[in-house]
Amino acid sequence: MPSTNASRKGQEKPREIVDAAEDYAKERYGISSMIQSQEKPDRVLVRVKDLTVQKADDVVWVRARVHTSRAKGKQCFLVLRQQQFNVQALVAVGDHASKQMVKFAANINKESIIDVEGVVRKVNQKIGSCTQQDVELHVQKIYVISLAEPRLPLQLDDAIRPEVEGEEDGRATVNQDTRLDNRVIDLRTSTSQAIFRLQSGICHLFRETLINKGFVEIQTPKIISAASEGGANVFTVSYFKNNAYLAQSPQLYKQMCICADFEKVFCIGPVFRAEDSNTHRHLTEFVGLDIEMAFNYHYHEVVEEIADTLVQIFKGLQERFQTEIQTVSKQFPCEPFKFLEPTLRLEYCEALAMLREAGVEMDDEEDLSTPNEKLLGRLVKEKYDTDFYVLDKYPLAVRPFYTMPDPRNPKQSNSYDMFMRGEEILSGAQRIHDPQLLTERALHHGIDLEKIKAYIDSFRFGAPPHAGGGIGLERVTMLFLGLHNVRQTSMFPRDPKRLTP
Amino acid sequence: AAAAELRLLEKSLGLKPGNKYSAQGERQIPVLQTNNGPSLMGLSTIATHLVKQASKEHLLGSTAEEKAMVQQWLEFRVTRVDGHSSKEDTQTLLKDLNSYLEDKVYLAGHNITLADILLYYGLHRFIVDLTVQEKEKYLNVSRWFCHIQHYPDIRQHLSSIVFIKNRLYANSH
Repeated sequence: MPSTNASRKGQEKPREIVDAAEDYAKERYGISSMIQSQEKPDRVLVRVKDLTVQKADDVVWVRARVHTSRAKGKQCFLVLRQQQFNVQALVAVGDHASKQMVKFAANINKESIIDVEGVVRKVNQKIGSCTQQDVELHVQKIYVISLAEPRLPLQLDDAIRPEVEGEEDGRATVNQDTRLDNRVIDLRTSTSQAIFRLQSGICHLFRETLINKGFVEIQTPKIISAASEGGANVFTVSYFKNNAYLAQSPQLYKQMCICADFEKVFCIGPVFRAEDSNTHRHLTEFVGLDIEMAFNYHYHEVVEEIADTLVQIFKGLQERFQTEIQTVSKQFPCEPFKFLEPTLRLEYCEALAMLREAGVEMDDEEDLSTPNEKLLGRLVKEKYDTDFYVLDKYPLAVRPFYTMPDPRNPKQSNSYDMFMRGEEILSGAQRIHDPQLLTERALHHGIDLEKIKAYIDSFRFGAPPHAGGGIGLERVTMLFLGLHNVRQTSMFPRDPKRLTP
Repeated sequence: AAAAELRLLEKSLGLKPGNKYSAQGERQIPVLQTNNGPSLMGLSTIATHLVKQASKEHLLGSTAEEKAMVQQWLEFRVTRVDGHSSKEDTQTLLKDLNSYLEDKVYLAGHNITLADILLYYGLHRFIVDLTVQEKEKYLNVSRWFCHIQHYPDIRQHLSSIVFIKNRLYANSH
């Protein structure tokens, strides 16, 4: 164990309490004094991913974590990790390192952050366990910048081990709760790094695509005075002397922006649902990617725009995030995500026919259950070879009151869901923009008009026909990567049983 | 339930109804009171008797080995299918049957036998609840079951169960 009492005075001149007299390398290692921004040394830190044969024989400084260490007689092998990249480092007794220095290096706790000066050396045999396979670092100086505690709540190697179905192969994996309780460490794994880089890519591509299509990004309030989608499933918060609610959707505000002539708007923000569902795909707080758009004559103009936005996201991910996709599939193997251009649009009655052909008994006006949704996804994949499709013309009876009825069939509506790998990721509709029809529909649903007065009033001063929808970011990430739990794609998930970290 | 099944069997064999069945004991073992002889007990005994009554001995197998096989599957039906208690047992049963049927069209020999008929009746209530994915998992059972249910005399009023021809889950993880 390196002494934590080691000198914190000078700059990088720590001392080890070992037989100092004989230690000719004592200036070359130790615990660095805490960085309090004392100085701005003229030193370039090379990124681990840039350690390649081009740098062979260069002397470089690297800051990285100790991923693993293994002492073997007069030498010590370290694997240094920086984000998803790692490189092998060697500390060997010789001109630069003493016996004490090797011992010091071997005893640095895993996950500690260290600064290392070393020579990049080309290796004859590829190092299979590292991302930098062609070089290793011959360490000349090694200083601990931030020491990790000796006992880790979970081992990174266990956390990225693929789960073998059925038979236990005796090797440890880490369960979901341990991961989430120690999220800071779990997020360091190559899989987590890849998942959240890709998720950032989804938001970026969503913005990029919509801005190019002429959309305006808006911000909507999350503390609201009335429940947005009916009274159920809403969180109440105290608001000075009254109560307020957490927004279940930015829908009303998106629609107000349409009434205010922004024509095409989108927003990315948190959405809250007080739903006590403990499933693989429900969270109480998630990120909504919301779109609302005025159209000219037919809501399919909007459906096509939204579907194309998703297709652009899928394409962008497959072009720009191939490494991340591969990294995740090493731990969670899955087939590449498939989609069609233009996107397949099925009508609800066609889907019902497909399900009935497969032996499912359902009424025309019944909503899809989760198992039937998944089965339909399989049937669609088999028939059309796509993991993404739009299901259009839902029965009016299963949609919210503000959904525009289908003018040709009073039992249908101008509403749609979008699916990835058989699971819903978006729900949307043409909204009723006529206050009178909206009032009728609200009464039909038994809604207290007083409570939605502000909503209905928004449409009294001329409102363009419009439609929109909301996408769940965590679900899109999960389903694109073929993962099985939305908690894997929420950095700090909130569900009925988890409020920390 | 056993009585209803025996009536289905009677009808499929072309026998006139009229036999009186009762059930005995906790496990509701079927009993047939014959006209002028002793009463017969147990599903497979009674079923075998009915086949002989109908003079359709070929349904009991033609060679000695086939006859033994038919008996073996009747025993399977009574002990494993009727004796099941949990969902897990059903899964194991289907798994075993699935691997047996890998290279077979019928349970015993190359023709339909009483074993196929009684196993079809016995499994119907389980197969009806299987998901599309489970039916695909037990592909050989599904193929065999679908084949047997296509004999209208055997299926009678029992619901026809849908099997999808194309595989939906083959490449999934």
